[in-house]
Amino acid sequence: MAANMKAVKLRIKSVKSTMQITKAMELVAASKLRRAKERAERSKPYFDILHKALTEIANGNIDFSSPYAQKAKSDVWCYVVIAGDRGFAGGYNNNLFKRLESEAKDKAYCVLPIGKKAVEYCKRKGITLVTEAFSEAGGISVADCFEMARLLCREYKEGKYGHIAVCYTEFKSMMTQIPDLKRLLPLTELIDNTTQEEKKNYGQILYEPDSSQVFDVIVPEYLAGLIYGAMSESVASELAMRRMTMDAATKNAGEMIEELNLYYNRVRQAGITQEITEIVAGAEGN
Amino acid sequence: MNTFRLQIVTPDGLIYDEAAERLVLRTMTGDLAILAGHINYCTGVGMGEARVVTADGTVRRGACIGGMLTMVENECRLVATTWEWQEEIDLERAKKSKEKAEKALAGGGLSDKEQKIMEARLHRALVRIGVKGE
Repeated sequence: MAANMKAVKLRIKSVKSTMQITKAMELVAASKLRRAKERAERSKPYFDILHKALTEIANGNIDFSSPYAQKAKSDVWCYVVIAGDRGFAGGYNNNLFKRLESEAKDKAYCVLPIGKKAVEYCKRKGITLVTEAFSEAGGISVADCFEMARLLCREYKEGKYGHIAVCYTEFKSMMTQIPDLKRLLPLTELIDNTTQEEKKNYGQILYEPDSSQVFDVIVPEYLAGLIYGAMSESVASELAMRRMTMDAATKNAGEMIEELNLYYNRVRQAGITQEITEIVAGAEGN
Repeated sequence: MNTFRLQIVTPDGLIYDEAAERLVLRTMTGDLAILAGHINYCTGVGMGEARVVTADGTVRRGACIGGMLTMVENECRLVATTWEWQEEIDLERAKKSKEKAEKALAGGGLSDKEQKIMEARLHRALVRIGVKGE
């Protein structure tokens, strides 16, 4: 009996220390989340307006001299996958990879991974990587996004891939985050996104000095902007998910401790009762 | 005067979303003024001073760096990489950044990429100082 009691006591201790860790992780995620959420909210209008402006241009465009405005020359897709650096965030990474798999099925594709988990995933699956330079999602700045955009544009023009899409987790609210995929290039992809009703005829758009030069300037800008926006949302989503998961884990640990305590006390009580019975029996025997 | 809707946005947030009478800024090919009723238009933005004449006629100056400008159906969207209003510019910081960039450029021995970065930094600093220093 005593040995059993000791084991239970040890178990309680170990669950308690796990609970402390999950609690600490929850608090860290919660405090980081506030800042990340602010950043995501601040860059949201940029994200939306940029996308709107490009959609308008894509719809009004009738000048196809720029490679960005032409129909895709290659069937290869390039996905910019934004995942986290760490696990312990519920389904954050897995949901994203599932979304990617369902999208990329039957397609030839390569991936520009952001975040350690994304790099690991691609290596495990044997997917071609564009670059590994951005494996730390935590330290990505606006300047890094511009660098990525320039790299993507260069390789896009070289014809390494004909489509570019970004796979990220949309931050709907503190409670819901949904993995999403946005098609970025070629610009003709944007036309499919608008419904017939929204589709207005904007007539001809004047480009200055000419469309291919304008696109050469604005497309890297646009890619960088959208990647940055997606990045901000993903970081906020990761932290929100981690906070929720760790909250659940802390609650579970609490329940477990309660159950173990109950069991421990029951065993202790049984031991005492038995001892008393033995003493009484011994006294009667005399 | 007729006005048009002007939206100025950067990764740091929405800067301006109101009616405006005129927008003057430096594009990749030179200075440009947008008035209401401008033809549907699209161009890349360079680095330079920008002026917004608001609906009530006040002129606001800002330093606008990089990005794109679209004018579609009397709605103008300026998606800038950075935008600072004159009153927000940190003159000391701009001066320091100018000195640093000048020193790095004078020192030589930079790779092509570093050279470009430093030149761009100097350019930005000069634009900011120019806008701030009346």
